[in-house]
Amino acid sequence: MTSPAVAISGYGVCTAFGRGAGDLLDAAWTGRPAFGPVGRFDVAGCRVPVAATAPGLGGGPDDLRAELVAAITTAAAEAGLSAGELAGTPLILAVHGDPALARASDDDREAHRASWYAAGVAAAAGTGAVLRTYTSACVAASTAVAAAAAMISRSEAAIERIVVAAGYLVEPDQFAIFDAGRVFATDGSVRPFSAGRTGLLLGDGVAAVVLESPAALRRRGREPLARLRGWARTGDAYHVCRARPDGAGVSRAIGAALTRGGLRPGDVGYVNAHGSGARLGDRAEANALTDAGVRAPVSSTKSVHGQALEASGLVELVITVESLRHGRFPVNAGYLGRDDDCPLDVVDAPRTGAPQYALSLNSGFGGANTALLVAA
Amino acid sequence: MTITIHSGLSLTGRADWPEPGDPPEPPGIAGFVVSTFAPLVAAVAQRCLARAAAPPPATAIVIVTGCGDVASARHVAGAIDAGARVGPLMFFQSVPNAVAGHLAARYGLDGPVVCLSPAEPAAALTDGLAEAALLIADGDAGGALVIVAEQDPDHAYAVLAQPGGVGR
Repeated sequence: MTSPAVAISGYGVCTAFGRGAGDLLDAAWTGRPAFGPVGRFDVAGCRVPVAATAPGLGGGPDDLRAELVAAITTAAAEAGLSAGELAGTPLILAVHGDPALARASDDDREAHRASWYAAGVAAAAGTGAVLRTYTSACVAASTAVAAAAAMISRSEAAIERIVVAAGYLVEPDQFAIFDAGRVFATDGSVRPFSAGRTGLLLGDGVAAVVLESPAALRRRGREPLARLRGWARTGDAYHVCRARPDGAGVSRAIGAALTRGGLRPGDVGYVNAHGSGARLGDRAEANALTDAGVRAPVSSTKSVHGQALEASGLVELVITVESLRHGRFPVNAGYLGRDDDCPLDVVDAPRTGAPQYALSLNSGFGGANTALLVAA
Repeated sequence: MTITIHSGLSLTGRADWPEPGDPPEPPGIAGFVVSTFAPLVAAVAQRCLARAAAPPPATAIVIVTGCGDVASARHVAGAIDAGARVGPLMFFQSVPNAVAGHLAARYGLDGPVVCLSPAEPAAALTDGLAEAALLIADGDAGGALVIVAEQDPDHAYAVLAQPGGVGR
């Protein structure tokens, strides 16, 4: 099925490089990682005490809410929305949950539902009501984008504009879980698709994007930053957390997103991969790209900003949008050399070009896969 | 088989946990420890699918939960606050997607995997069915196994949603 394109009219972002896109994009386009020793909480006893964290942020629920509000405010300003227009724009949020839930008493537990945390963000940021609160792990943000695009492109939904926001700040609980699972990169570097890659590292990520119908944007007299030309969500039906080795689920997502956008694999000029740096996961994704017939340059910006879990897909979408606008490919930092399991055109050094279409891919636990097709 | 119509979807296989005669806890599932959340979701899904029509190709799994796996989250928080180690198995069940993956693999459900928190507890099924309807109308899913689950007390219900409005 094809769908009408959806306009991206504004964004806000916060990562280990701080608030704003400037330093993040410079780091992405030059391949400068933000990983360093974790100072935000006690990591004594952790095997790999390394992450990409923003200086000055405590990482707690109030910090997360503040950064979500800031990102939404910035996105709305860039989209030229008045306070009244923002108040009439619903919110879709992607988040692990209310960070305070795990330590709340039984009596207070209901007050810390993820959807009520989202309602608090909406109220503080001045958006309209919360349409959805997605908690689907590493595809939560990209699923939120796909859902927003689906709602906007379907005329019966009667929704012209949606703010999509997502946030994860590195905190002790998920850090300990991942460290216990022995999935962190033991050499302190994320090396997607590279020979010698040893795993992933977490990173701060908060972002917001304004999506709206092209007609609504034209009525406001504004131009899009980029367009979401296609999207797709699939499942591997394979394992609790491991990716299907042949990448078939990701390949289906790529194909479905291209079909929705009326494009062919050869039309893709750049791929922002999920690329967590995991040995098996990266191999599966490489298989998917090969199977889908996509031969474009590939990089994973998780090599620079880290894995921001529920928010990573939205941070990566922002980077992809700006890379198309500026004709610069994000660098796949940490690349040591070709791995025969990942026969891709990896962007291992600064590179310029003028791709018109890019794919942004994300995968998560449960075999969840998403593909977003972005047009300049 | 009872078929219910909701917003253009046919619903079959309505199942609850607990139902009369159920044991105090759902059966455990391999690889999931400490918490009954994943076993609860798996048990109600199994009961639903046994009663429902055959899932169509690209059936999605939509898990609707306000607080998610609270028991696991509290277990990890307690270990960290006490300065104790977190067991490695907690990594595999750290998000609701994990039990969705278990179900997807067991029953061959290769549609989207979506987890969401309902606006209000009473709206959980409505929110889940709205997401199912969106996925189906948007072309990414042929149907959806919608599961609502909460802990303390453990309770869940599930239904299989498919397009079409043929009543019986």
